Amino acid sequence: MSSASSATPTSDAAIRAGIDRSLRHPVMFFLTSGAAWLAVSILLAITASIKVHCPTFLDGCGFVDFGRVFPAHINTLIYGWGFQSGFGVLIWLMARMSRQECRSAGTILAAGHVWNLGVLLGTLGILCGEGSGMPWMEFPRFAWPVLLLSYIAIVVWSFIQFRVRAGERTFVAQWYLLGAMMWFPWLSITANTLLFCVPGHPVMAAGINAWFKSGLVFLFFVPSALGAAYYLAPKLTGRPIPSHTLARLGFWSLAVVAPWAGMQKLAGAPLPVFLPYVGAAATALLAVPLLIAALNLLRTIFSSEEKLPKCAPMSFTLAGLVSMLVLAATAVLFNLPGSSLWKVQFSLSGYGFDMLAVYGVFGFMMFAAVYFMVPRLTNCEWRYPRLINMHFFFSVYGIGAIVVGAMIGGYVHGSAAEAWLQPWEYVVDTLRPFAAVSTFAWCVILFANVFFFLHLALMWLRPDRLLAACKAKTEDRVAQSQQTEDPQSTTP
Amino acid sequence: MSLRNFILGLAASFGLAWLCLVIIPFVKMRNLAPIQFNKDLDGAEGVFYPKRGGRIANGARVYGENGCYLCHTQLVRPTYAGQDMHRPDMGGLQNDPQRGDTRRETNAYDFEGERFAQIGSARIGPDLSNVARRFEAAAAVKGDDNLEAAFYAHLYDPRLKPEQAKAICPSHKYMFDEIEVKGQRPDEAMPFGETETTVLVPDADARALVSYLLSMKKDQPVPAALNFPFAGDKQPSAK
Repeated sequence: MSSASSATPTSDAAIRAGIDRSLRHPVMFFLTSGAAWLAVSILLAITASIKVHCPTFLDGCGFVDFGRVFPAHINTLIYGWGFQSGFGVLIWLMARMSRQECRSAGTILAAGHVWNLGVLLGTLGILCGEGSGMPWMEFPRFAWPVLLLSYIAIVVWSFIQFRVRAGERTFVAQWYLLGAMMWFPWLSITANTLLFCVPGHPVMAAGINAWFKSGLVFLFFVPSALGAAYYLAPKLTGRPIPSHTLARLGFWSLAVVAPWAGMQKLAGAPLPVFLPYVGAAATALLAVPLLIAALNLLRTIFSSEEKLPKCAPMSFTLAGLVSMLVLAATAVLFNLPGSSLWKVQFSLSGYGFDMLAVYGVFGFMMFAAVYFMVPRLTNCEWRYPRLINMHFFFSVYGIGAIVVGAMIGGYVHGSAAEAWLQPWEYVVDTLRPFAAVSTFAWCVILFANVFFFLHLALMWLRPDRLLAACKAKTEDRVAQSQQTEDPQSTTP
Repeated sequence: MSLRNFILGLAASFGLAWLCLVIIPFVKMRNLAPIQFNKDLDGAEGVFYPKRGGRIANGARVYGENGCYLCHTQLVRPTYAGQDMHRPDMGGLQNDPQRGDTRRETNAYDFEGERFAQIGSARIGPDLSNVARRFEAAAAVKGDDNLEAAFYAHLYDPRLKPEQAKAICPSHKYMFDEIEVKGQRPDEAMPFGETETTVLVPDADARALVSYLLSMKKDQPVPAALNFPFAGDKQPSAK
């Protein structure tokens, strides 16, 4: 994706600077509040995880009951951090690739505040015991129309920018971002209407919920991550994507296969038998688009002998691509109806898979994009490279421990639950070590992400610049008062 | 590819799955056809009507709000999809004193009265499809018939019973109110957690939840057409 343009280099840089200036506040708002929600979500994850291996921790208080803290953790992770970092990256990438300044920053900022309010009230609703009880849709029902409307008010401008883009050219990254923009409302309207408004069969409702959850992963998080990766990989290395045909195949195979996935969670439940098994087959087949995209991007990065640029966006992109390969492998390994599906269906591995997709694949790509975008948006280099290093290593090791722990733990746990001659206590005993690992790993990730949030806020608010401005103002005032009043009365 | 074709492509690829996986099965499952008893196989005639007593809707709401579905499932899978039918007393009682083997798979009528079937996501705790039957069987062994009290005790503190000292289920002490006793002890007072002047009584949520849990027993005889017994058995178990 070379930035081919007929414009002269100076005007090119001016266009880019104009786009960055027009989007500075909305994008920085989404990234910073997303990072804050991430820290909140991880704090909730630690609380929930401690309660698994030490059930008397914060015992007996409804507000921090495991059954409320855990959904609060998942929902803040998805809607607080996931979607908001997705918005920040999506609107910036679309503006840059369509070469259009944003003319509706005010609307986007306002909608962003509404989105945050929706997430906040929804999370409080869950903690106060008003949750809906449907996985990944636990916010009370009032939150969903608010989130959907603010979603539309946030992304519709990017769609318009694409429509009026300069020239006919489109980039691979734009396909994925457009896809993510359009799939989510369809998924959300379907799931919310059928689960909250139209009465249906309860088992089918559970099936639709499982389909929505899988859709969120493979039709919002994965395409957003791939959009960012298809932008960053060529940009960072200065090399084009090796195969456009492969990229097209990767995109369309994702678009065709992913909507069928999800209902394998209900294998054996009383609903038409083809639904869960089509879901299992589709999830296993999703390895194809994931592998195609990952290999195409890895070839972009490693295609020449030149040394790779050593920078944070590159490290995070590579980590995201490795996570994508692992996700592809797990999608196959955990969905074989004859051997593995029934063992891991109701085990810890589901959580591992979700975290791998949301924090591993999507999260790392978003971090890569954030480390790439923010210096351009704020006109200022990252202040503390050490914090970035720490963020990278702690995130990789932390999420690695959680994912590997939950995958292996899930297999052990699921096998124990299927060993029907053993009493249930045996199953519970297999869980403890993995829960302890997960608590420790989340603590490490929290440490890294609190500093990530502070670093990001520092880049946006620029206290040094504010201080300098303050100082200049004070000096001005002092100078003025010296002119008008008796000089001795103003000096202390 | 023009934007129009791109959008049409996305709409077609997503729309096909959306129709086949979501919309058509949803509409078809909204009103399941009633199942008739077969006189030869079931020894009964007429329409099968799933029976379930208790405060199902309220209890299911409390169950969802407090995240029980995170650790407990409500699904007895067929033998082709898992080992659930083998686990003692998970799909029903293997040695019911009156009816013999009553184990069976979950069917589409088992969630009568609920909006959302809490199939669950992980079995950190045991499956609850027949939890009331298990409690009944355990209570019968002890000669104790107060099932509600056993459920309340579990909600108040899952580690109350010595044999469950290692349970990792969270306690739901917040579902009990401490009230002062003036004169007669209230009927609904719990046999645990009392002091000299106060006793514990369950609040509205706890009552609804326990009523819902008490309905978790698949012991109604179902027509042979719905009764998928343990694969090893040749005889239909419900006569």
